[in-house]
Amino acid sequence: MRKRANSGQILLIAAFIMASLLVSAQLYILEVGKTSGETESDTLSNFMLNIQSGSRNVVIGSLANVSNGGLSNALELNLREWVAFIANQYSHGKSTLYYTLRDTARYSSGIWLDWSLNGYGVSSAYVNFTHMLSGFEADVDQSYPMNITTTLLIASTNRRLSENTKQVNVTINVQNEAEPALARQITIYYRVSSNWLTPDITNNYTLLDYGNGTYLASFVATFPTESVEVSAHIADCRDIYVQANATSIEI
Amino acid sequence: MAMFDRKGQIRIIESFLAIAVVFSAVLVSVTFPSAPDLSKQKSLASMGTQTLMTLDTNGTLGNLILQQNWTDIKTALDILLPTGISFNLTICDENGTTVNAEVIQNSNLLGREAVSVQYVCATRSQTVRFFVVRLQLAWMG
Repeated sequence: MRKRANSGQILLIAAFIMASLLVSAQLYILEVGKTSGETESDTLSNFMLNIQSGSRNVVIGSLANVSNGGLSNALELNLREWVAFIANQYSHGKSTLYYTLRDTARYSSGIWLDWSLNGYGVSSAYVNFTHMLSGFEADVDQSYPMNITTTLLIASTNRRLSENTKQVNVTINVQNEAEPALARQITIYYRVSSNWLTPDITNNYTLLDYGNGTYLASFVATFPTESVEVSAHIADCRDIYVQANATSIEI
Repeated sequence: MAMFDRKGQIRIIESFLAIAVVFSAVLVSVTFPSAPDLSKQKSLASMGTQTLMTLDTNGTLGNLILQQNWTDIKTALDILLPTGISFNLTICDENGTTVNAEVIQNSNLLGREAVSVQYVCATRSQTVRFFVVRLQLAWMG
């Protein structure tokens, strides 16, 4: 009789146990879902693009450094650090970046600086990259060249105003990777005897920006000799420095 | 006879109670929020990566980090990300130390299903620096 009287309570207890099992199972599923809610989603292609973009920045920064008088091996040093840094950044596999600095007649350790006298100046860096990535998604080898080149072309004409006074025009053309580019800073020089002077307001100096990478500098100066030599020194928007010299042609 | 009847009624009430308990547990389970939608998270992650890549075009992201201009980074993210997305950005240097002195976020991500995107940033400065940028994103509401 006593056993029969308790059977209803046992039924209720069993129901409570079942209910708590159901709820706790659901809570567990929810918790597991939450931990995977914040997922690392740097997929393979995105990571490769990321590294390509970063490598480009390293080459640009290094060329800016070298062209502004920094160490000639700055590119090598920076790339070595970059490669070591990114080796541990891919959480879904193994990432290895190899680089080869171009060494040809023009390039030395990936750098070519030519600031010659014929109206042409170039500051360039050239590196070949190979990115090897082995991950959960796939194994990929990607090779790409990285050519960063700032080119400066100048041409000058002058017109005699009086015996020794001349109006000088200098046309400046700036290019990044053979595309028109803007300059961040332009300084013009002209040569008087052995001194290089910068024209200022007393020389009626003007600098016209055409907005397409072409600039026209004009000034009036006194030249004791017939020959008029000019020089343009520029830093492009990436801080890469380049200069070019030219002999002005009288018109 | 009357006692037997009462016992039977109690049995029925107990059975109903048991059914009610189990049923309410099932109801509670069903009304819990479901597991995160992975396709939604992937699109969010892709959006985050694209945003950081756009911001890094021309070395802007690296320059802003070097200038410690956290306000402009937040403004840029506000512009580049679609409305209805909460974000939180953390920037670490080569040693893993957090460099952003201010919190770069538009709203709190607590309690939201967040997705995390990691971006490796190299500056274009003459002294090249490296940073790891971690962007957490979540849909608002």
